[in-house]
Amino acid sequence: MVLSKAKMGETFKVKEVTGKEKIVKFLFTLGCYAGEEVTIISKLAGNYIVSIKDSRYAIDEGMAKTIVLDA
Amino acid sequence: MPFCGIHFNLLTRIIISIEKAQRILGGNKMRIALAGNPNSGKTTLFNAITGKTEFVGNWPGVTVEKKEADLKRKYSVKGESIRIVDLPGAYSISPYTSEEAVTRDFILGESIDVIINIVDGANVSRSLFFTTQLIELGIPVVVALNKHDIVNRRGDKIDAQALSKELGCEVIPTTATSETGLSELIKKVVEVKESNKVQKALKFENQNTEKEDLGRQKLVDKIIGKCEVKSRKASEITFSDKVDRIVAHKWLGLPIFFLIMWGVYTFSIDGLGGYLSGYFNDVLFGEIVPNAANGFLENIGVNPLLQALIVDGAIGGVGAVVGFLPLIMVLFFCLSLLEDCGYMSRVAVVMDRFFKKIGLSGKSIIPMIVGSGCAIPGVMATRTIEDMNQKRMTTILTPFIPCGAKLPIIALFAAVFFPTSTWVAPSMYIIAFVMIALGGLLLKRLFVWENNSQFILELPEYKIPSLKHAIIQMFDKAKGFIRKATTIILVCNTFIWFAQAYSWQLQPVQDQSLSILASLGSFIAPILIPLGFLGWQLAAATLTGFIAKENVVATFAVILAVASEEALHVPGGALTGFFTPVTAFSFLVFNLFTPPCFAAIGAMNSEMGSKKWLFRALGFQFSVGYFLALCITQFGTLLLYGKTAVGFVPAMIILIVMTMYLIYAIKKADAKRNALELVGESA
Repeated sequence: MVLSKAKMGETFKVKEVTGKEKIVKFLFTLGCYAGEEVTIISKLAGNYIVSIKDSRYAIDEGMAKTIVLDA
Repeated sequence: MPFCGIHFNLLTRIIISIEKAQRILGGNKMRIALAGNPNSGKTTLFNAITGKTEFVGNWPGVTVEKKEADLKRKYSVKGESIRIVDLPGAYSISPYTSEEAVTRDFILGESIDVIINIVDGANVSRSLFFTTQLIELGIPVVVALNKHDIVNRRGDKIDAQALSKELGCEVIPTTATSETGLSELIKKVVEVKESNKVQKALKFENQNTEKEDLGRQKLVDKIIGKCEVKSRKASEITFSDKVDRIVAHKWLGLPIFFLIMWGVYTFSIDGLGGYLSGYFNDVLFGEIVPNAANGFLENIGVNPLLQALIVDGAIGGVGAVVGFLPLIMVLFFCLSLLEDCGYMSRVAVVMDRFFKKIGLSGKSIIPMIVGSGCAIPGVMATRTIEDMNQKRMTTILTPFIPCGAKLPIIALFAAVFFPTSTWVAPSMYIIAFVMIALGGLLLKRLFVWENNSQFILELPEYKIPSLKHAIIQMFDKAKGFIRKATTIILVCNTFIWFAQAYSWQLQPVQDQSLSILASLGSFIAPILIPLGFLGWQLAAATLTGFIAKENVVATFAVILAVASEEALHVPGGALTGFFTPVTAFSFLVFNLFTPPCFAAIGAMNSEMGSKKWLFRALGFQFSVGYFLALCITQFGTLLLYGKTAVGFVPAMIILIVMTMYLIYAIKKADAKRNALELVGESA
């Protein structure tokens, strides 16, 4: 299931990250890659607030669709 | 020295030899680079150990260039001279963003003696990814485990000794904001340099295969497991999250943002800043200083011409501008507090869905907010935008927001023509927003580029903004402003004063219209006729505005002080001879929306990437300003006074030509788009 469809407030393991290589690599350095945990904190103003490792990030719909979760 | 095995061309060899010679002559100063994640505290540490006042903002991407300075004497161990370089934040050596590219190129290309890797204590696990890469570069690394105060506050525990053992290099806990641990850090750095030892690269699985990054992350996880104990899960809802729910709310977010910005500007312009500036302008520079100067100069029997030069030219012009200093200072103080607390990232989140409609992302708001202080750092802030086209578009649109230098112009015209209305100044900002939206839409249609904005932005934890930092920024800006006033503006004014008092034959003239300035202005003046602006004086003022926007006010002060004795800012004062309220408003808009001052154009040049784009940008900005002023003058005069303004016929012709060209350009772009089969127009 893609991140944009995931339930608020839950933690998931990432299954895979699709999309352009540059962005996949960038997300990787933040800690978003297969096997790592991601928590969906909330959805604000059309953007998803996620917690990866110890930081919060705001990502838009487009990016949220590229992150596939294990669920 | 032999460059065996490396193929360099002759020029590169020469350059390297020169740099080497410089370093040897410079006494082989030790060079230390500060590298680490965005927002980890590099610039705060840099400021603390060098005594500089570089700008610190609580959002990722604040530092966009490397900055260098010498180590403060109080931190030097044996009195040696050490050079510190602050790099933009990077999450890794392989760059996604342009700041990461600067970091990588710098570390790999220059001779660095020691790297201080600043690890964000609030997110050690993410920071360590970069750390393991830095360790492999063959340059000694010392880790500064920063934000130790936050670590303690949260109740987390990080074992610095264990971490040091795992990484193979020294780890020093620090808190840059309170300057804790910094002397130990520098001592350790010097020790490491003198011991000439380099740490060994760490081993992990899958090295040198395509799964290398994964192996690296697994190593980081292992290290974290041994050294860090967190007191609570990162995914728990924090205070910051609760605040975000309101501040970045879908419907509340925007009004809250406008309210905050309105508060900042009202406090600066109408409140404290305006009050002090009013005093400066009316009393200090209106009476006290000129009277004292005149008295003094008369007493020592100075040549009346020189006296006029000093009082009317230098003091008059500069005074008109320096009077605004308190206003600028208060504005920058407030902006610094705003930028330091962490709110800016949230603004980007709120604005993202609006900016998407014009093909940009929420990140573009940050250059615009910074630009409301000064367009130069504003334009530079566009470096955080990865997509080149979005970056260009933001660079073109950012100068539309009135910058600090334009405030004197707004204040002057509002005071003279609209003394009882409070809507004039805010209307400039509202027009700016509207033009950014329209301009963005127009740019999107005029130029063919793919539309794929992907938005990801880190949301740092809120923190109490540092008053100390805000005050430092305020005085820093004041210093810069005074420096600008006493150099560029002073020189410009002296020239202006001279040029309006003398003819080309260098004879003094009684009638200004025979002067040098008049003939220069008259050259440009015809272009301004369709806008309803008559007279070489207005052309001259507009021209000087390109050197510094404050000059528009200063130039008027010089030209008109000679024509009449009334103070410039009095309602119904000397300016009313040149404008009706409608054309005054139009002149204001014209000067606000034409291309910015030369310094800002220089910044634009660096960001646009090519001269072709720079000229397109300037052409676009000039056209917008011209078009707006034209419409306001012509249609405003028609509507409000029921008669046609000066230059009506040429104005209409120009309007028709402009519109036709616009339609043509859009059709051409559409055709190109169809040919490329791009279906990127989402709106």
